[in-house]
Amino acid sequence: MRDSLCLSAMAAVIALLSSGPVEAQEPIRIGILEPVTGSASKSGTENWVAMQIARDMINDRGGIPNHGRKIEYVFADVPTPAAAISETERLITNDGVRITAGSGVSPLAIPVSQAAERHGVFHWETAGAAEIITRRGHKYTFQVGPSARRYAEAAVDFTVDVLTKKLGKPLADLRVALLWENRAFGKSVGDNIRRYAATKKIKLIYDEGYDQTLTDMTPIVQKLKDAKPDVLLTISFPNDAILFQRKAKELDFYVAAHVGVSAGYSNPDLINSIGNSVYGIFVSDFAVEVNPKALAPETRKITAEFIKRYQAKMNRSPAGHASMAFAGMWGLFTELLPKAKTLDSDTLRAVALKIDLPEGSLPNGSGIKFTNHDWKPNAKDFGQNLRAAIGVWQWQKDGHNQVYPSALATHEPVLVPLPKWSER
Amino acid sequence: MTTFGQLVFSGLLIGCIYALMSMGLTLIFGVLRIVNFAHGEFLMIAMYGAWAVTAFLGLNPYVAIVAVVPAMALFGVVVHQVVISPGVDKPHLVLVFATMGLSILMQNVALMFFSADLFDVPPMFDGQSVIIGPFFFKAELLLGFMIAVFCTISLRWTINSTYLGKAIRATVQDSEAAMLMGVPVPRIFMIAFASGSALVGLAACVMMPLFSVFPTVGLNFVLIAFVIVVLGGLGSIEGALLGGMCIGIVQSVSSYYIAPAYGQLFFFVLFLLVMIFRPEGLLGRKGESTVGIN
Amino acid sequence: MSVTSKSTIETKPRRASPGRWWMKPGHGSVSWLELALLVACIALVVAPVPHSYQDVINITLLWGGVALSWNIAGGYAGLISFGHAAFFGIGAYTSTILLVNYGVSPWLGLWLGGIFAAAFGITLALIGARLRGPFFILSTLAAAEVVRIGALNWTSLTGGAEGLWITPTKSIANMVFASRSAYVALVLGYAIIVYLVSKAIERSRYGLVLFAVRDDEDAASAAGVNPLTARTGAMGLSAFLTAIGGSLFAQYFQFLDPTYVISPELSFQFALLAALGGLGTAIGPALGAIVIMPLSELLRSYLGAAFQGLHLAIYGGFLVFVMLYLPGGIASALERSTGRSKETP
Repeated sequence: MRDSLCLSAMAAVIALLSSGPVEAQEPIRIGILEPVTGSASKSGTENWVAMQIARDMINDRGGIPNHGRKIEYVFADVPTPAAAISETERLITNDGVRITAGSGVSPLAIPVSQAAERHGVFHWETAGAAEIITRRGHKYTFQVGPSARRYAEAAVDFTVDVLTKKLGKPLADLRVALLWENRAFGKSVGDNIRRYAATKKIKLIYDEGYDQTLTDMTPIVQKLKDAKPDVLLTISFPNDAILFQRKAKELDFYVAAHVGVSAGYSNPDLINSIGNSVYGIFVSDFAVEVNPKALAPETRKITAEFIKRYQAKMNRSPAGHASMAFAGMWGLFTELLPKAKTLDSDTLRAVALKIDLPEGSLPNGSGIKFTNHDWKPNAKDFGQNLRAAIGVWQWQKDGHNQVYPSALATHEPVLVPLPKWSER
Repeated sequence: MTTFGQLVFSGLLIGCIYALMSMGLTLIFGVLRIVNFAHGEFLMIAMYGAWAVTAFLGLNPYVAIVAVVPAMALFGVVVHQVVISPGVDKPHLVLVFATMGLSILMQNVALMFFSADLFDVPPMFDGQSVIIGPFFFKAELLLGFMIAVFCTISLRWTINSTYLGKAIRATVQDSEAAMLMGVPVPRIFMIAFASGSALVGLAACVMMPLFSVFPTVGLNFVLIAFVIVVLGGLGSIEGALLGGMCIGIVQSVSSYYIAPAYGQLFFFVLFLLVMIFRPEGLLGRKGESTVGIN
Repeated sequence: MSVTSKSTIETKPRRASPGRWWMKPGHGSVSWLELALLVACIALVVAPVPHSYQDVINITLLWGGVALSWNIAGGYAGLISFGHAAFFGIGAYTSTILLVNYGVSPWLGLWLGGIFAAAFGITLALIGARLRGPFFILSTLAAAEVVRIGALNWTSLTGGAEGLWITPTKSIANMVFASRSAYVALVLGYAIIVYLVSKAIERSRYGLVLFAVRDDEDAASAAGVNPLTARTGAMGLSAFLTAIGGSLFAQYFQFLDPTYVISPELSFQFALLAALGGLGTAIGPALGAIVIMPLSELLRSYLGAAFQGLHLAIYGGFLVFVMLYLPGGIASALERSTGRSKETP
C-alpha cells in the first residue's frame, strides 16, 4: 500500500516537473546599445523605445516560444565610438551578456560589433547600414537590418520602373540628380546609388555631397535649379531635410519627383515642419504601414499592436529605423532564440545561418536570409540580410502609403509630376 | 548672372541674421573681455523659449520678442551673477572652461526636458517668397535683415548718446579709471552681459521661423558666431554686421562654385587668413589681438 | 619656492597671469604623490583587474598622456589650444594609413605621425605668432576644423566618412595585442614618458624660458629670450606627443571616424583635463585625468540608462563648479589642503 502510494507520489512529482512551464529558468539577458545622448539621440531613442516594446510584447506572451524564458535588457548609452567600445565591453565583461543588439547609426554600429566580436559575443545589428559591417571577417555579427545598398537599389529601381512611366519620359531622357549628406550613411547610400544607376545606364546630371551642418541651403538649391532635374534623389537627416525643403520652396525650385532615402524624409515629424508640401514626396525605406496582404495574419496583429504601443508612447507613428528595431528584435525572439538549444555564440550563429524566411515574415515586411561567404558580388560578405525589405512609400493625405514594389504596394503613386509650389 | 545675384543677396541676408546672433557675443567680449563659450546654448535656450511662446500662446515669433528678450536678459543676469562674476577676477581661461562646462550642462538639461526631437514654428506666407526682379527673398529673411540693421543702429546710438553708453565706453577704455569716476563697473558688466544675452534672445526669435530647434542646434551656429565676431573685430558691433555679411556671402558663393561638401571649411580658411594678415579684424582696433585679454 | 598668493597690489584685476597661482617650476626629486601614483598605475596594469575596468584604465592613462602633452603648450607656454584633436587625428590616421595600406608597423608609423603633427603645430604657432588670448584659441579651433573637414572629404586617403579600421591580425609588430593588459602597459609607458618629458622641461632652462614667455612676454624678450622660437618649439613638441597618443588610440580602438576623432569635443576634453587638474605643473593633468575620466565613464555607465542626458548635465555642472571655485585645479587644491608643497623629497 505504502509502496504504491510512494510510487504514485513520485510519478506525480515527475509528471509535474516535466510538464510545467519552465518559468523557473532565468531570463535571457540581451545587451542593448543605443545613443540616447549626442548627435544621434533622436534615432537612438526611437530605436530604444521600439526595442522595449518588443521585449514587453514577447514577455506578455509568455516569453520565448519553446523555452518560455523571458527577455531582460541591459542598456547602455553610446553617444560616441569610444563610448561604444567601453560600454559594450562593460556589458559583456561586467554584466555577462552574451548577446548584444543596437546601435543607432553606422559609426557606432561598427565599434559596437567590433567590441562584441573581440569577446566572441553574438551581435544583432538592426540599424547600422554601412556595408563594411558585414565585410570585416567577423563570425558573430549579423546585420538583420538593411545595408545601404538596399536603400539605394529601391530608390533607383523605383525611378526606372515607375517614374519613367508616370512622367512619360524614357530613361535615356530622364534627368536624375543625386544629393547626399556626406557622413557615413549618406555617403554609402550615395555611392551605391551612383554604382547601381550606372548599371542601369542612368547618367546623373548632378551628384554632390553636402556637409550636414550647413545652415544655409541656398547654394545647393540654386545649383539644383540650374541643373533642372526631373527626379531628385536625396539622402538627408531630419534637420537638413527641413532646411532643404524650405529653401526649395523659397527659391521656387521645381522637380517633378522627389525620392528621399530614409532618415530625414521618413521622419514622421516632417509634416509638422513643412506642412502640406510634404505630400507627394517618395521615401525609400521600410513601409510604415505594411501591406496587410504581404503579412501572415499573426504578423499583422503583431505589427498593429506595435504601432499602437509606439504611438501611445511617442505620439507619432514609428519611423523606418524604429520599425526595423522592433522587427529585428521580434525576429530574434521568435525565429532564432526558440531554435537555439544553448545561448553560446556558435549555436546562435549556426541557427542564424539556417534561417530562411521569405519577405513578409517579420512585422515590417522583411524576411531573413544571411549571407555566408556565398554571395556572388562579394565573397567576403557574411551576415548581411538579403531579405531586408526596402520599398518606396509616399507621403499621401491619408497616410504613408506603400507604392513600390507592386507586390507590396497598397496604393498608386499620386502627384506625379509634383504640382508647383504655389499649389502644394 | 541671376544665379550669382541670388547667391549674393541670399548670402547677405542670412549673413546679417548670423550677425545679429553674434552681436551679443561681441558686446560681451568688448565690455567684459571674455569669450562666452556657451553662446550657442544661449541661442538654443532662447529658441526653445521662442518656440514655446509661439506654440503654447499662439503668438507670432516676432511678437514673441516682447517675452523672449526680457526673459533672456533675466537669464543673463542670473548666469552673470552665478557663473561669470566669480570668475572675472581670475585668469581668463577659468571662464573659458567654466562657460564650456555651462554649455555641456545646458545642452543636456535641454535634452532632458525637451528630448532630441526637432521643433518648428509655422512659416509666414506659407513659406513662399517675396519676388523682387528675378530674385526670391523669403519674408522672414528680409525681416531678419531689417531687424539686424535696425539693431546695429540702435546699439550704436545707445552707446554714443546715452549715459549708459558712455559708462560702457568708459569701462571698455579703462575700468579702474571709470570706477574712480563713479561708474558702477560691476553693474556695467552685468548690464553688458544681460544685454548680450537679450540680443541672443532677439536673434532667436528672428531665427526660429528659419531653423528648427533641438538640443545641439547651438553647435551648428556657435562656430559661425566666433568667426564673425573675430572677423569683424572683437567688440565692434558694426564689425559683427560686416563680418556676418562677409561670411554669409562667402559661404553661399563658395558652396555653389566649389562644393557644398566642405561646409564651413571656407570661412574657417577665411578666418585663418584674416588672423594672419589682419588679426584685429575688419573694424577692430589695431593691436587688440596682441594685447589679448591677459 | 612657490608663489601661493596673488600680489596684493593688484592694479588691474584681470591682469593676473595664468601662471602665478600654481606655477611651480619643479626643483628637486620625485615627490611622494608622484611615487604613489606611479606604483598605483603599475599595480593596475599588473594586477588581474576585470576587463571592463581595464578599458576605463586604458582611456584614463591615454587621455592623461595627451592632457600632459597639451599642457606643454597650454600650461607651460600659455598657448591654450582647442585644436589638439587635429594633432591627435593626424597621428592616428598617419600610423593607421601606413599600416593598412603599406604594411608599415605602427611602431614606425607613430614617429611619422608625430613628425607630421609637429610640422602642423609649428605652422599653427607661426600663423598665430601675433595672436593672444581668445584670438589664438579660436585660430586653433578653426585649424582643427579645417583638418576634420579635410579628413572627412579626402576619402581616398582617409576612408572619409565611413572611417578607417584595422583588422586585428595580432602581432607585436602590428601593435595589435590579444590581451588588454598589454595595451594598458603600452599606454602607461606612454603616459610615463610624457610625464618625464614634462618634468624635464619644468626643470630645464627651456622651461624657464617658456614660463617667462607665458607670464610676461615683453619682459622675457627684453631679457633676451626669443618668444617666437619658444612658443613654436612648445607647440611642436606638444603636437608630436599628442600625435603619438593618437596612434596608440588607433591601435586600441581599431576604428577611426573623422567626425569623432578630430572633433572640437575631443579638443575640449584634453584641455579640460589639464585645466581641471592644474595647468603649469606635470602632476596637474595627470591628476585631472585620474579623477575626471573614471568619473565621467562611471556617470555614463550608471546614469546613462536613467534620465536621458542626466550624466552629462551633472558632468557639465561639476566642471563649472570646479573651474570657478578651484581655478588652480585639483593639484592646487590638494596642495592647499595638505598645506605643503609637493616637491619635498
